[in-house]
Amino acid sequence: MVYIFKQMLVKKSLHSLTGKLILTIGTLMVVGSSIFWYLLFRHQETELIQSSVKYGHSFVEYVIKSNRYGMLTFQQLLIQQTIEAIGSAEGVLRVRIFDSRGKIAYSSDKKDIGTVVDKKAPVCVGCHSAEGTHPKDTPTVLISKDNRDFRVLNIVQPIYNEVACYTSTCHAHPRQQKVLGLVEANLSLAVLDKSIKNQGLAITIYVLVFLFVISVVLCTILWNLVSTPVSLLTRGMEKVAGGDLDYHLDINTKDEIGELAQAFNAMTSDLKKAKNELVEWGNTLEKKVQEKTEAIHRAQAQLIHSEKLASLGRMAAGVAHEINSPLTGIVTFGHLLLKKFPQGSEENEDIQVIIEQANRCSTIIKGLLGFARASAAEKAPVNINDVISHSLNIVKNKADFFNIKIVTNFDDFLSKVRADSSQLQQVFLNLIMNAADAIEGKGTITMSTRNIRDNSGDWVEIEFRDTGPGIDDENLAKIFEPFFTTKPVGKGTGLGLAVSHGIIQEHGGSISVKTKRGEGTSFFIKLPAYKEMP
Amino acid sequence: MKKGIILVIDDEDIVRTSCSRALTPSGYEVKLAKNGHEGLSIMGGDKIDLVLTDLKMPDMDGIEVLKKIKQDWPGVEVIIITGYQTVDTAVKSIKLGAFDYIEKPFTPDALINAVSKALDHKNKSQQT
Ligand SMILES: Nc1ncnc2c1ncn2[C@@H]1O[C@H](COP(=O)(O)OP(=O)(O)OP(=O)(O)O)[C@@H](O)[C@H]1O
Ligand SMILES: [Mg+2]
Repeated sequence: MVYIFKQMLVKKSLHSLTGKLILTIGTLMVVGSSIFWYLLFRHQETELIQSSVKYGHSFVEYVIKSNRYGMLTFQQLLIQQTIEAIGSAEGVLRVRIFDSRGKIAYSSDKKDIGTVVDKKAPVCVGCHSAEGTHPKDTPTVLISKDNRDFRVLNIVQPIYNEVACYTSTCHAHPRQQKVLGLVEANLSLAVLDKSIKNQGLAITIYVLVFLFVISVVLCTILWNLVSTPVSLLTRGMEKVAGGDLDYHLDINTKDEIGELAQAFNAMTSDLKKAKNELVEWGNTLEKKVQEKTEAIHRAQAQLIHSEKLASLGRMAAGVAHEINSPLTGIVTFGHLLLKKFPQGSEENEDIQVIIEQANRCSTIIKGLLGFARASAAEKAPVNINDVISHSLNIVKNKADFFNIKIVTNFDDFLSKVRADSSQLQQVFLNLIMNAADAIEGKGTITMSTRNIRDNSGDWVEIEFRDTGPGIDDENLAKIFEPFFTTKPVGKGTGLGLAVSHGIIQEHGGSISVKTKRGEGTSFFIKLPAYKEMP
Repeated sequence: MKKGIILVIDDEDIVRTSCSRALTPSGYEVKLAKNGHEGLSIMGGDKIDLVLTDLKMPDMDGIEVLKKIKQDWPGVEVIIITGYQTVDTAVKSIKLGAFDYIEKPFTPDALINAVSKALDHKNKSQQT
């Protein structure tokens, strides 16, 4: 309790929920208990007074009865003595008997005897009312303080005329007289007052104890059910606001506060999830931006590359034109010269070397021309075997290919294909370069061509097989995507297979891949066979 | 006996010389022209059996020469010499009536082979 109040003070929590609840309920309880206390107290008092009054009536009745004999026999002394005896009893302050004219006939206090009171005296007022001429026949009861420190019960009871009275020998009362006199008794209510006081005190103590117990219970309940969880919640909120999303509220009650805590925990974990997602998103965004930037760089590189290729193509065309004429001279005169020396002679062999080398120059030029897309843009029936040979001529003397074994399995009766040979050459060159990169300069590249027929028609199939490491499953799905490459920037643009795929599709064919980890990779190209018009 | 009179039109001296040196020993008479105009004027004077013309020349290109010859001397066969073979021009020239095309650099044998085929074709078509 003290702890709770300390806490409340520390937190100025009269403004808090608990404070307000305690204040409200406390006030209600104090007011309620006060009313209860007051009503109970009043009820007790009335009860006690009523029983006192009842007792008073019996007492007066008793006074009359005990003097009945004295009166009937008119023994005034006996009456006076009886009155005095009664008056000396404990709690009896005064007993008086008045005659019908208001004169005190007998009294426990002898000095009073003979005194006459008029109708305005307190004794008479009960029956005769203030102005009083019409007497009431009922006994009157009056409780007054009368300058004493306890209250006094004053009872006045008329003495009525009876047969025995007016037939008695003394003939003191005529038959017509209705009321013969009155008995007035003043009884002390000191005991009553005391017990009322004691009872009031007891009730007060009970109520206070009750209030105290209820308050303690209420405070404890409120503290445990509301204040503690609420301050836990508040702390949780502060933590979460401060960025601690791992904070978990440990309130497991089944009530509304528990539900609130549950909702709070759910909210925190949702927040955390959302935050994580955001962070991750931010990260991946960064990564995506980076990827895109790289892709753009690659695209730029590719653009430069293709620009280079295009100008290379133009240059090759010009160079080819210029060079082929002198080569024609070399070849022709070489042959003419060749005829002048017998076969097997040293000169003959030397000239043959000249001719061969001139032819090689021409082959290189043709390779370059085939490579430059600009040099051919239309489809025509072509022999795939020739296109592959052209492609091989371009690469096979490169240093990269010195340790590579190149095997060709050409079908001599291969159908022609309607195609742009320079574009096909681009496709084949990329496949050859990819294979060479995969086997890292050592191994075998096998190129095969064959006619195949299936229910969709006649096809020419070209296979490029290498003995490289194969392609991961993870990458396999991506190799035809533009810009996908596992090669360092600057070496691969990742466009090779993408462009190839496009070119082959454009030719009505398809390109596919089969690979096995550690054993190698095969790329298959299928192109529709060209049917020559008869 | 002369196997036929052949006109070689090429802006490059070495090509003209090569052709004449390759063909003459086989019994062909070879006339030379540096460009299309010169070639056409020779056509107007002499009786030519076969024309070998380069495709790419400064003033008038091989295709034009081919058209002109086929228009004015339909009986004369034409073989196109190309510096670099492009499929479309080759197809185009065949469509326009060229008998064949031959790629530089060519060997004397290849040239003689092409020429004799063309002349055979010409003789055959003239007989019918
Ligand atoms: N024969 C192969 N063996 C193993 N991996 C291959 C093979 N061919 C292609 N790949 C993989 O596919 C990727 C994409 O190839 P692609 O030809 O499209 O681009 P690139 O070779 O990387 O670059 P570019 O061809 O534009 O210079 C390569 O980076 C490589 O990882
Ligand atoms: Mg590649």
